[in-house]
Order: sequence, then structure tokens, then C-alpha cells
Amino acid sequence: MAGSGYAHLRDSDDVVLALRDIVVEFRVGGGRVVNAVSRISIDVRRGETLAIVGESGCGKTTLGKAILQLPAPNTGQVMFEGTDLTKLPKEQLRSARTAIQMVFQDPISSLDPRMTVGEIVGEPLWIWGRGSEADREAKVRELLNNVGLDPELVLHRRSYEFSGGQCQRISIARSLALEPRMLICDEPVSALDVSIQAQILNLLQDMKDRYGLTMVFISHDLAVVKAVSNRIMVMYLGKICEVGSPDAIYSKPAHHYTSALLDSVPVPDPAYQRNNVALQGEPPSPVAPPTGCRFRTRCPAASPLCAAEEPLLREVAPDQFVACHHPRL
Amino acid sequence: MSTNKTYTVPTYAAFGWLTFSTFLAVFGPLLPVESFRTIHGDFLDAKPFTAGHWFGVDSNGYDIFSGIINGARLSLFVAFITVGIGGFIGSLLGITAAYYRGRYDSIVNTAFNVVLAVPNLVLALALVAVLATNVDINEAVPTWRRLATLMISLTVVIIPILGRIARASALTWSGREFVVAARSMGMRDRHIIWRHIVPNVLPVLIAVGFLAVGVVIIAEASLSLLGVGIPDGASWGGMIARGRNDLEYNPHALYFPIIALALTVISTNHLGDVLRGRLDRREARL
Amino acid sequence: MNTILSIAAMNIKFVTPRGLLEAVHEVSLDIPVGSSVGIVGESGSGKTVLSRAAMGLLSGSTVRREGKVVFDGKELTTMTREQVRNEFGTGMAMIFQDPMTALNPVRRVGTQIAESLRIRLGMSKKAAVVRTIELLSLVQIPDPQAMLRKFPYQLSGGMRQRVMIAIAISCSPKLLFADEPTTALDVTVQSQILQLLSDLRRELKMSMVLVTHDLGVVAGNTDYVAVMYAGEIVEQAPTSELFANMKMPYTEALLKSIPTIHMQSGKRLAVIEGRLPDPTSRLQGCSFAPRCPYVQPKCTAEHPPLVNAGNDHLYRCWFPLGQTIARKQ
Repeated sequence: MAGSGYAHLRDSDDVVLALRDIVVEFRVGGGRVVNAVSRISIDVRRGETLAIVGESGCGKTTLGKAILQLPAPNTGQVMFEGTDLTKLPKEQLRSARTAIQMVFQDPISSLDPRMTVGEIVGEPLWIWGRGSEADREAKVRELLNNVGLDPELVLHRRSYEFSGGQCQRISIARSLALEPRMLICDEPVSALDVSIQAQILNLLQDMKDRYGLTMVFISHDLAVVKAVSNRIMVMYLGKICEVGSPDAIYSKPAHHYTSALLDSVPVPDPAYQRNNVALQGEPPSPVAPPTGCRFRTRCPAASPLCAAEEPLLREVAPDQFVACHHPRL
Repeated sequence: MSTNKTYTVPTYAAFGWLTFSTFLAVFGPLLPVESFRTIHGDFLDAKPFTAGHWFGVDSNGYDIFSGIINGARLSLFVAFITVGIGGFIGSLLGITAAYYRGRYDSIVNTAFNVVLAVPNLVLALALVAVLATNVDINEAVPTWRRLATLMISLTVVIIPILGRIARASALTWSGREFVVAARSMGMRDRHIIWRHIVPNVLPVLIAVGFLAVGVVIIAEASLSLLGVGIPDGASWGGMIARGRNDLEYNPHALYFPIIALALTVISTNHLGDVLRGRLDRREARL
Repeated sequence: MNTILSIAAMNIKFVTPRGLLEAVHEVSLDIPVGSSVGIVGESGSGKTVLSRAAMGLLSGSTVRREGKVVFDGKELTTMTREQVRNEFGTGMAMIFQDPMTALNPVRRVGTQIAESLRIRLGMSKKAAVVRTIELLSLVQIPDPQAMLRKFPYQLSGGMRQRVMIAIAISCSPKLLFADEPTTALDVTVQSQILQLLSDLRRELKMSMVLVTHDLGVVAGNTDYVAVMYAGEIVEQAPTSELFANMKMPYTEALLKSIPTIHMQSGKRLAVIEGRLPDPTSRLQGCSFAPRCPYVQPKCTAEHPPLVNAGNDHLYRCWFPLGQTIARKQ
């Protein structure tokens, strides 16, 4: 693992979301248990965008959904604006959730193929009985306009008539309908063409400014995250490797895993020479994660200490925390 | 969509036959045809194409044409009602099981599998035997009770067939992100099931429902042959069961109910397949 | 220079209810022996249709195809389907974006690879198993012996893609088509797979066509690049020449829209405004004119021809970049 620890947590009034010791486990066949998220603590300030970065299977999506209690973490606290969502009764949770909305990876799967775009975007308003029918339609039109779609053209069509990028816009419009204070974006651009990715990333930035959102942005690609985030958390096999400001992490990554992730981003320059050997192999199974530091099996700097003892997060530079016995700094 | 192929001749034929027999079933009693209970003593064992009795008369003196029309009512009535009720209960169980998962799901799924493991006919027969007998063997079982028992038995046969299809289909739809999205928006579970899952599962159910109608018609006919079908032997299966007794002297009493039965089952199966094919093509686009 | 595959004056149209849809328009492209050629474009640019047609995989009553495809001295366009099928495996092979759909889910990996060897090369059962293990180690799968007994669903996306590559190279093809081979994968796995493909290409002396939407993927992995837009090749050059000396505003826009780790955080990304033109009606002028930041009156009036700038560099633009022409921005 990288590791657990609380050194990176901030004690300030504008922390909107504070996750404390989140554990999510799934039972798989044969009585085995997948440790999807192992004791993660992190906080997000108002107006901040926290990027959660890692490979498939590192638990980043599970962590994102655990915030919304979909499903709820096995143990741990999810403090949102001072309320622990894990302790709320069902009915209260239902209304508390509306303050946090989610945008999903697969733009096609996240829209019901049998509903028109108008119905999809208006659905959250319908659920909560907000306004009259006419009010709701006006609101839907406004939302579609804001995400760059022409309401006249799209309102009565169905999602399968649209491209991936347009579906993602529809999905964003829906997520904003209840005027949430926090938006969780789960790989919102990884299913899209590069040329469309930039449009959606810009749109998310615009929406963040317009609606004053706090964001959690989940991605496997450090390049995508760069433009949108104020704080980065790198995850590996259910643990935090490194947390810090983008400036610090991109210019001098302290964790060997972060540096490997940076090296694998394709560079659109044929003359570019990679300075490190690319990360080899794939993460081990989360059913039986390695002892000590979970990254040690693929780490170029692994030592016997790494197998024996789990590294805790500690500050290596201002606002840069790393869970590694042998950091690169 | 360039894939929207025009229907073929067999599809029209199947649709035509089902419409026709449904028409007979519904409006049969209003048609200017003599009651199927009228005994035509003068025409005993009349061959087909006899004037006034175009399908012939059986050895009891019943007109076969009237019998077919009346049988359509009973056979289709039993089939549609049981598939309707069985499909409703089955899909309710299947869809909720798929949506809520967990213990409830394993219980429902196991129950479906247990029921499916017993052959349809054996199951129905066992249920009829248990439910439609009186403790006092000298007292006759009333007709309504035998009919109700028969329909309950056939419904029990249908529930797991459609239930499992509903569960499988609902399982894939519940995994879609729009369901997670609906939950995150605070939608109640019953609304999610009703608005997002049922409409997506329904087309598959309708397609398989057609196949199930065929299954029920055959099952009812088979039970009739075993003597526990619709009482009074008035369904198509019942007619076959009666006609079987004097196959040597009066084989035509068997032909027409068999043809009617076969056409109906082939039609429902064919329409079910066509609907399924159309759905598959549509799903492929989604 | 010898060419392994030559596409000449290819036109492909689809019959749809909305009229003829022109997917590929007058495309000519040569793939030199031993080289790696990238075909780059957004979804809907015609790149996938072109590559399918080049392999003789496009047929059916709704396809109207003109032009000539010559593979290894044989004209594919006049061959029967049976003859084209014979070219697969030994002549050319392909790998897809989603390896899950190309693998049979209920059969073991070993059986699937060995079976294709036995059918296509007439190997004995024993020889096929030996060769399968060899192939699996060639695609750098750790513990190939264990891999034989696994089912596709037990593998990660990266491992599945490696298995697909093993099947594709099993009969030592001369040309490998890779259609978005890394789009569904994590960046770390993407860089591994791309590295593997270039290693194999050198080792087995294969030529390769890499179809992708990402100029970043093309940069380090190809010798030549053809950029497609609205069914046409709009720019084509040796990779280093293309990146050093871009002529076509579209290529530049595509490059600029890629999120990179070097851009400033919090800054808006460059995007290509608008969308692809309607493929059922070809524009009179340049197809990129409606989205081009440098558009001039001539661009909307006349369709630009493909011009040779020397150095093997072709482009389709009236006012190419790098020339001192007053442009209104």
C-alpha cells in the first residue's frame, strides 16, 4: 500500500467532505473477500476539485460510490457538511444524497434508452416534485442550454440517437438538475475521443464555476486530471500512495507509483524519450494484497522493510504527502 | 433503421391464425352456430363435409365444428389467463429479486430452480391430484374447483419460466449506470423498478410470454389426455382425449382439434421468435 | 519502396434510410513493407470503415464500394470471400478495441489459441500446445502454462489484449491491423501494449496499421501517419515530419486538444468547436472549413486537393500552416 495515516488531513472550517478510515469489502465466491478500499481518509474543501487517480481495480470508483453510500462502506465515516452519511436513516439519506450527484464513465449506459432527453434531465425534478410541469420544462431547457445542447433539437429525442460526447453532456445536465453542491465524476471522459475529452473537461470546469461546485474527479489518466484538479490523490490497491497539490506531484512525484503513472501517459511528440522504464506487469489481486506496502511487488525501490511494514502517509514537501519508505524526494 | 425488415408470410399467417382463433374464442357464443352440447343423433359419426356439419360429428353426436369454436375459448382462455397471472407473479418475483439481490434473491432463484427441475406435466399432475380430490371419495369434486385447480397448477408451471427470464433481464438492466444515477438522485426503489427496469424488461417478457402460451396449451391438452384436463372434455385437448377412444371408426374427430392445437402452438412459438429477434436487433443498437 | 498493402481511390458509401452516407471518399494509401502506419481521426471520420474495407471485411447489400486494394501483390477487391478469408492469419490479422467480444467466453484461452493453430496451420495437437505456450511468452504473459487453463473473464483487459495479440500473430502474418487496441485500457497498460506491439513488429518483421483517435498514441509508435477527416485523408506524412511541420489546421487542432501533463493546471483546454459535417451531403468547399479557425472565403467555395509539400508530406488545405499568408483569426 501504500498506506494509511492522517498526516494529510486538514483541519479547517471549509472542509465539505471528510472521509475517515473508509473500508469497502466485497464478498466473492468461496468465502474470499476483495479489499476494494482499505482504510482511506481524505478531505475535500469547498470549491476544490480532488482528483482520485489509479489503475482499474485500485478502488477509486468504489470509493467514489461509497461517498454516496452506493453501496455504503463497511466501516468508516463519510462526513458531508458535518453530517455522517453512514449513520443517516434511509429517508434522510435519500434527501441528503441530492446534494451530491454523480457523472458516470459510460455515457450510453448511464441514460435509460427508453426515455427522451427531456424526461431524463427532468427526472430528478420529477422525483422531488420540484415546481409545476411547466417550471420543470423551463428548468430542463435551461440546463440543456447550459451544457451546450439546443433544447429544441434534443428534448424529444432518445439517448441512442446521440454521440458519446453529447450523451455525456445530457448526463451532466441531469446531474445538475437538483443543484447539488458536490459532483462526483467517475472517469467522465475516458470513453470519449481525445478531441471530445477537452470539450467535456472544459464544460465541467464551466459548470463548476457557474454552480459553485466542489468536485471529486476519478480518472486513470494523470494528463486528463491536470487541467481540472486542485488536489491529487493517487491510489493503488485500495490504499493512498500520494496526496498533494498538482504542482508538486507533477513536477516531482515522490511515490514511485506516481512517477510510473506519469511516465506512461502518451506524449504527442515523436522525438520524446522516456526517462524511465515503463511500469511492468499488473496489480496483484485485491483478494490477497501484498503485506506491508502494497506496491512493493512492482516497485523498483522495494526493500525488505517494505514487505515488513506498512508505510504511513507523511509530508515530504509542503502540501505533498507520500506513503513510501523510500520516497523519490 | 435499415434493419426493420418487413414481415414474412409465415409471420402474417401466424398472426392471422391467432387473431382468428381469439376472435372465435371471444365471439364464439354469439356466432350462428349450434351449441356444442347439442346432440345430433341422426348424424352420428358423420364424415367431414357433410352438409350442415362441415367438420363432421363424433360418435357421441357432438358437432366437431361447434366443439372447435368452444374449445378455442377454453384453451385460449386457460392459456392467456395462466400466462398472464403466472407472468405477473413470476416477473414480480424475478425483477425484485434481481434488483434487491442478496438473500431474497437466492431464495427466489432456488425456488425457481426447484420448480423448473420437475417436468411440467408431472408437476401439474401432482398439483391437480393433491388439490382436486375430496377427502370423501364418494363426493364428486365440483367443476369450478377442478378448473381452478388446473389453472393454479399451470400457473405454478409458468411462474418460474417467465420469472427466470425476468430476473436475468432485470439483472443486466439493474447493473446499468442509469439505475445507480436514479438512486443517487434519491429515487425510491419501487419507482426505479417501475420506471427504469420494468419498461426495459417488458418486451422480452412479452416475447417469451408467447412461447409460454404454447407451453400451457400443450400442457393442458396433455393433462386432458390423462383425464385431468378441463372438466367435461370441452377443450381442444379434451376433444382429442375423447376422440382417442374410437380412433378406428371415427378418426376425423381427432383431426380438427389436433390441427387447431398445432396451428396455435406453432403460431405462438413463431411470433415469440419473431419478437425476440426484433428485440435482439434493437438491443444491439442500444 | 515495396508496399505490403496499397489502397487506391477508395470510395465507400452506405445505403441508409436518410440517403447515401459517404463514409470514405477518394482515399489512397500505401503501407510500405515493415512499416507502421497510423490512421488517426475522430469517431465518424471513416477510419474504421476504411480499415475494414482494406481487409476485405466490408460487404453486404447496403455497402457501395469502389477502388482497389492490393495486398502483397494480390488484388483483394476482386477476390471471392473464400479467398479473402484465406489471407487472414497468414497474410494479415487484426486486433480490436474490445478483446472480450473477440474471445469465446466459455472456452479456455489455451484451447482457443491452439485450435486456430490446428485449423489454419494443420498442426498436431501436441505441436499446437507447444506453440501456444511459445506465443504466450512472446506476448510477455507471465506463467504461460497457467494461462492455458484460464477463461477470458478471469483476465484483466490488458491480459485479454495480449491473448488477442497472441492469436493474431499465431500464423506469422505480414500485416497486423490494430483497431484502437488500447482505447479501453488504463494508461499504464496502454503503454505496455504499445511497447509490446512495436517489439513484436521488429521481431516478426510485420507491417502494422494502427487505427486510433489519439495523436499521442501515434507519435511514438508509427513511421507514417494519415489523418482522416469526414471520410478523406486531410494530411499524410512520415510521423516526425508531420509533428515537426504540420500543414493542416485540423491536425493542429487535434494535437492541441490532447490533455497533457505539461499543460498549466486550471487552464482551459483547446477544443475543436462544432462537429463533423453531415456525411449524407458533402460540402462544396473544404469539409473542415466550418470548424477551422483560419477559414477564408476560398475554403468554403472550393474543395482543396491533396497537395504534395515534398518529403512525402501530403495535405489538403488552401492555406496551410507555416506559410506567411495573412489569416484572420
